[in-house]
Amino acid sequence: MNRWTKQNTIAQHRFNFLAPLYALVFAAVALMALVPVLALVLGSLRDSPPGQPGNWTLENWVNLASPGVIDTLITTIQVACLTTIFSMILGTMLALIIHRTDFRWPNAMTGLLGLSFYFPSFILGMAWIVIGSPGGLINDLMRELFDIEANLDIYSVSGIVLVMVLHQVPFVYLTMRGPVLGMDPSYEEAARTSGASAFTMLRRVTLPMLSYALASSALLCLVMSLEQFGIPVLLGIPGRVTVLATQIYLLCRFPPTAYGLAAAIGLTLAAITALAILLQRRLASGGQAVVTTGKAGRITPIRLGAWRWPVNIFCGLYISMGLVLPTIILLYTSLIKFFTGNPLTAAYTFRNYISIWESEGTQLATLNTLLVSGGGALVGVMLGAACSYFTVRLKPTGHRVLDMLVMLPFGVPGVVLGLGLLWAYAYLPLPLYGTMTLIVVAYVTRFLPYATETAGARFVQLDRSLEEAAWTAGASRQTGVWRIVLPLSLPSLQSGYFLLFMAFFREISATILIFTASTSVLSVSIWSYFEQADWGMASALSILAMILMLGIMSALLWAMPGARQR
Amino acid sequence: MGISVRDLVKVYGQSTVIKGISFDVADGEFVTLLGPSGCGKTTTLRGIAGLDTIDGGEIRINDQIVSNASSGVFVPPHERNLGMVFQSYAVWPHLTVAQNVAFPLTVRGVQDTTEAVQWALDIVGMNHLAARRPSELSGGQQQRVALARAIVGKPQVLLFDEPLSNLDARLRDRTRAEISRIQRELRVPAIYVTHDQTEALSMSDRIIVLNAGLTIQDGTPTQIYHEPVNRFVADFIGNANFLNIQRRGPTWTLPDGTPLLVTADAKHLNGEPVVALLRPETIRLEDHPPNQATPGLNRLTGTVVSSIFLGQHIEHLIRVAGTELRAFSREPLEAGKAITLSFHASDCRVLIDNTNEQHTTHSPTPH
Repeated sequence: MNRWTKQNTIAQHRFNFLAPLYALVFAAVALMALVPVLALVLGSLRDSPPGQPGNWTLENWVNLASPGVIDTLITTIQVACLTTIFSMILGTMLALIIHRTDFRWPNAMTGLLGLSFYFPSFILGMAWIVIGSPGGLINDLMRELFDIEANLDIYSVSGIVLVMVLHQVPFVYLTMRGPVLGMDPSYEEAARTSGASAFTMLRRVTLPMLSYALASSALLCLVMSLEQFGIPVLLGIPGRVTVLATQIYLLCRFPPTAYGLAAAIGLTLAAITALAILLQRRLASGGQAVVTTGKAGRITPIRLGAWRWPVNIFCGLYISMGLVLPTIILLYTSLIKFFTGNPLTAAYTFRNYISIWESEGTQLATLNTLLVSGGGALVGVMLGAACSYFTVRLKPTGHRVLDMLVMLPFGVPGVVLGLGLLWAYAYLPLPLYGTMTLIVVAYVTRFLPYATETAGARFVQLDRSLEEAAWTAGASRQTGVWRIVLPLSLPSLQSGYFLLFMAFFREISATILIFTASTSVLSVSIWSYFEQADWGMASALSILAMILMLGIMSALLWAMPGARQR
Repeated sequence: MGISVRDLVKVYGQSTVIKGISFDVADGEFVTLLGPSGCGKTTTLRGIAGLDTIDGGEIRINDQIVSNASSGVFVPPHERNLGMVFQSYAVWPHLTVAQNVAFPLTVRGVQDTTEAVQWALDIVGMNHLAARRPSELSGGQQQRVALARAIVGKPQVLLFDEPLSNLDARLRDRTRAEISRIQRELRVPAIYVTHDQTEALSMSDRIIVLNAGLTIQDGTPTQIYHEPVNRFVADFIGNANFLNIQRRGPTWTLPDGTPLLVTADAKHLNGEPVVALLRPETIRLEDHPPNQATPGLNRLTGTVVSSIFLGQHIEHLIRVAGTELRAFSREPLEAGKAITLSFHASDCRVLIDNTNEQHTTHSPTPH
């Protein structure tokens, strides 16, 4: 029995500053997690917008059973399942291709997939609207060059699924990469030496061995699909394809508004995603590493042979559709005076960029984005590290509850969280509505698990005796944390900061309902230009935002070597 | 002065890991807690260090209560003025050797630590590596840094948690000697936890043998080795042969009736199961024994079953009196050879055969 499993709770002696810190952290996380949810419950029972006089009612819940909502629910599940299936297939294929075969450019592909991961979803949606909408590029070009009526319509279920798949494939790739790399090669080698072809081996050994990882990844992918906001809203509204997230947005954004019904729908959606996440955590802890061993095995790469060029084309196709094409299209759209599918006859201009540069609104939005991302990520990392230290190391009474509270909002879709905060802070005495603090609270609530998971994984690794040696050498508990635990955890904390920064920078769904003119961030500005059909500005700002994001990403990775472990 | 442990009890969930242990460590004494895995020795050490709380009893260091279960007094580890060496060394990778060693001083607010650090590193012979990081050091070197760190603050107690188990045999010998030397020079009470009997025998002023949360025997190495209180202790330390013996009238005999001259106590006549301890090194193997019996000497004949070459001697398995005994010799013997084993009565001690239960003693065995 090793000392780690025997660890008992901390002795009942004077904590000095750890006990009040625990209380503070616990209270903060509890408030952040529970207030939006409770506010939603209350809101779902009201018949008027938040902050306005009205009555209690059960009508919102009754209306959930209306055909409109049921239809939306079915569409949501349809879209989510299709997206998950295709994303899993393509993402796993990519992981196997890159890490299991003699594919020629694994590093380049990994890097490009990493970039695709950070491509904001709604910007991807916008680019694909330009490409595939009835008045868009493909239809235009087909008509002009070949005189064909292509009738391509991205405003459809298939369109939504396509773009969502493009957006989520990198996520699947990243979650499957670890298990694929970590597989004990001897199982596969046994199959090969028994006479199995590469394909048979993949089918009958590799994939079955990865089943737990696949199931876990699929559940997370499903949750992501259910939560998606940008793509389904942008592509769905014109084509009248409505998912639950869209409906919530419509009910809050356009009159006649129905905040109460939106709250009820939001809770329903959150319940579904929470269930999926619970299932996933059960799976992840239960079916652990029968398959991954500590040995870094030298795998014999599968030889692609005749499959080489099809595979190359496949990879190239994904990168084009998911990264390169959208970027080029947006660049093009940002530089033309009037929309036309033919670059040769278009009139070019820089006026969009000049406008943005001079716009005070954009300058404010940029500043806000940097504040929220830079400062918010810092708050998130500190809170996450503290939570993690309590739930993973000290384990005082109630630490399991704290753990649950941290994870709770992760299963709540961003737009639902925003709605909850809208309800909450319209009523609560705290003057948070209309402040940057609210935005930061929303983001930190949503993404706290990023920080706790990275910090927690590191804390678990740190041998107990390193802290104990500090105590027996005369350091109090908090001195031990400050001088030993934190310095040794720095790379993981940097990694957490990086993850949070990137997530905050791209976020749209959690802020779309609670922003005001002064607390607008870049993603909201881009969204607004789009809603006003100002394509030039929307794409120009998108390009600028992505350049900014890339620049900051590089700067962060250069300054924080720990963040490079992705 | 020194360390005092009274009626220590520790419970983990459903199981009582320490069931009531008491012992003292005098100033300057080196006491080893010895026992098999799970016997509670590390838990006891951690209780003394304050890394774990206790559920019963009391611990005092230099007459000050540091842990008391009933009154709830608990002095945290960083206020106990300890020096502790861990099994994993626990040398901090992000600090240099000098910073590691200086830590107990810097954490107490000492401004100028150079002299003290130098002194400590000198004692362990690591001064020339003061600027290195632990990742650049070998296991043995890291352990010496840990040692220097433990003594630099002039602690009032030294605690060792199996510090040598991660080192190879050669290094273990050297470091063992160093630890002994340092402790003697500093004259600080020390508690050393190990399951290795060589460390226990060679380093300790006293050994406390533990099993399943209870003290089995508390004595000097000589007492533990030559006067084990029961079969468990005899078996745990050194090599041992055990002979089943019975009382036939006024004499002790082997199962086949052969009389045996042994050393026994009155308590061995109580009717409890007993066994005779015969250590292999006390057996003399003779080809041609003399004809007369020598007073106080047992002579049994047997047959050589097998032999193993161990370098410093050859170990033989010899079938005698219905059982198999191990004995040593310098010369090889062929299997099947008839041989005579002779040993003194004083080397054949009767012990309580406690294979199925434990006994406890709280004081050194009377001699």
